[in-house]
Amino acid sequence: MSRAAGRTDWAEEEDDDSVQLPQQQITKNKDGTETITTYSIREDGKKVKTTRRIKKITIKQVVNPRVAERKHWPKFGAEKGKPLGPQTDTTSVAENISFRPTSNWKASNEDKSEIDAKKNVLKDAKIKCRICSGDHWTTKCPFKDTMAPEGEAAGAADLGDDAPPEQGGLGTGGSSYVPPHLRGRGGAGEKMGGKFERDDLATLRVTNVSEFAEEQDLRDMFSRFGHVTRVFLAKDRETGRAKGFAFVSYADRSDASTACDKMDGYGFGHLILRVEFAKKAT
Amino acid sequence: MRPILLSGHERALTQVKYNSDGDIIFSVSKDHVIGAWYSHNGERLGTYHGHQGALWTVDVDPTSTLLASGGADNTMRLWEVKTGKLLKTWDFLTSIKRVEFSSDGRQLLGVTEKRSGQLSTIVVYEINPDPEAEQTDEQSLKIVCDESKATVAGFSYMAQFIIAGHEDGTVSQYDAKSGELLYSTQVHEADMQVTDLQWAPDRTYFITASKDKTAKILSTDSLEVLKTYTTDTPLNSAAITPVKDYVILGGGQAAMDVTTTNARQGKFEARFYHKIFMEEIGRVRGHFGPLNYVAVHPLGTGYCSGGEDGYVRVHHFDKPYFDFLYEVEREQKQQASL
Repeated sequence: MSRAAGRTDWAEEEDDDSVQLPQQQITKNKDGTETITTYSIREDGKKVKTTRRIKKITIKQVVNPRVAERKHWPKFGAEKGKPLGPQTDTTSVAENISFRPTSNWKASNEDKSEIDAKKNVLKDAKIKCRICSGDHWTTKCPFKDTMAPEGEAAGAADLGDDAPPEQGGLGTGGSSYVPPHLRGRGGAGEKMGGKFERDDLATLRVTNVSEFAEEQDLRDMFSRFGHVTRVFLAKDRETGRAKGFAFVSYADRSDASTACDKMDGYGFGHLILRVEFAKKAT
Repeated sequence: MRPILLSGHERALTQVKYNSDGDIIFSVSKDHVIGAWYSHNGERLGTYHGHQGALWTVDVDPTSTLLASGGADNTMRLWEVKTGKLLKTWDFLTSIKRVEFSSDGRQLLGVTEKRSGQLSTIVVYEINPDPEAEQTDEQSLKIVCDESKATVAGFSYMAQFIIAGHEDGTVSQYDAKSGELLYSTQVHEADMQVTDLQWAPDRTYFITASKDKTAKILSTDSLEVLKTYTTDTPLNSAAITPVKDYVILGGGQAAMDVTTTNARQGKFEARFYHKIFMEEIGRVRGHFGPLNYVAVHPLGTGYCSGGEDGYVRVHHFDKPYFDFLYEVEREQKQQASL
């Protein structure tokens, strides 16, 4: 495979190239620095050009004559015959490390360990599956495809409740905290309207909805303005088609009011939506 | 601080040592070879070939003419520093865990391992400092450690005592002339091996490191514990820095547990403690295996560490290291200048 033969086949080209690497070049710059350009082949076969600019500074140091003498000892053993100066295969310079002693080093480090401690506490916390009450996350439950979450099995049917998934996770933990949008549930007045009252401050009533609309369509449209906690689309029990009105609840009232402004008069399907704040059922 | 990485060894480092002027670093590793390096730029001066097994220990005499080494091939060897020539081989029945010259370089001490029915011993040879001279085969002293094997040992000031650290966490003091056991005390937790013993520059006190996660400074005369440095990891080495009142501790969990943890949890950092206040003041990371040995430049301008990862890292301290003072130290300095 001599190069002089003149290659005609492009397939040979790469082979030839990998053998032929330009020599290391050292150019002296005007400002006293040196530019060293080296070529090498990486493990994946790519050619790499490395350009290093080096500034050499001579630092004069007065040393003990014994030390000065030892500096000129000839090298021996594996280094025998090697030129003066550090060899790149045995000596290299690591990345810079900033080391500044501080008197409260331990204290600043303990903050970090506190975070670790917190993590550990979380790690040790009781994990309870909402589906089978086992000690694993609900998402890791082996029965998650075959069983409905505990306690939701009964409630799933009523009005197509679209409560956010966190609800169950917090609720079963037995903590006394009740999220704002759940407050009032199970309290006074177990009437139908009670479900809507609980968050009517941030709930929009959407009317003139196309009968072919789905809850997901509404959710997609309204979640542009903020976190939608619930979408309820009234459907005809027999036909399964929308009745033409829906309720959309937001976590935040300000989101609800922007959505109200923007979505009122928005064309959806072949109809124009009408959006207003839901009124308290009287 | 830009560390210089010495990558001449193929296996774990076991000991690194500066010579008395601090211009040369000697390193021994499990790959059977001793390396000599210039400390200022990391250039390798040469290698010493001849050992047939893993090396555990190395020491250089105060004039930097003779080098002693010991290893798992059951030999202790003496080398000429300048040429790498092997001058003398002493054969033993078990491996050599530690060698150390006395402060005048006229005596050499070796600690032998306890194995195959052999008890651990501390042997001493008289050394002729002339590299041309014939070295003696005769042991001037032999101390048998029948209670717990010795792991580290060294000569005190004026070679008056031999101080040894043992596998069961005790430190003992022997008369260096007669070999008589003068005093022994449980310094570290029981059955926690003393892994290192390094001297202060004047050898009136020394620091021990142990697997019980502490390092302690002891007085040579009374073996009284003067200072205790508590860490959260087994220690392999401890060194006292001259110029500034610090100690450097090196360790990390055992090599066999390393693969199961990441570098940060492994605690493979050199830890700096204030010698007087016994408080941690900083750490230097870099190794990705436990630190097997830390050695300090005799002039206090830098330190180097040898790790299980096969690298020696040579550090030259920069300004913040020398500038650091505790509040009380600063006040004291101010008052003195007023």
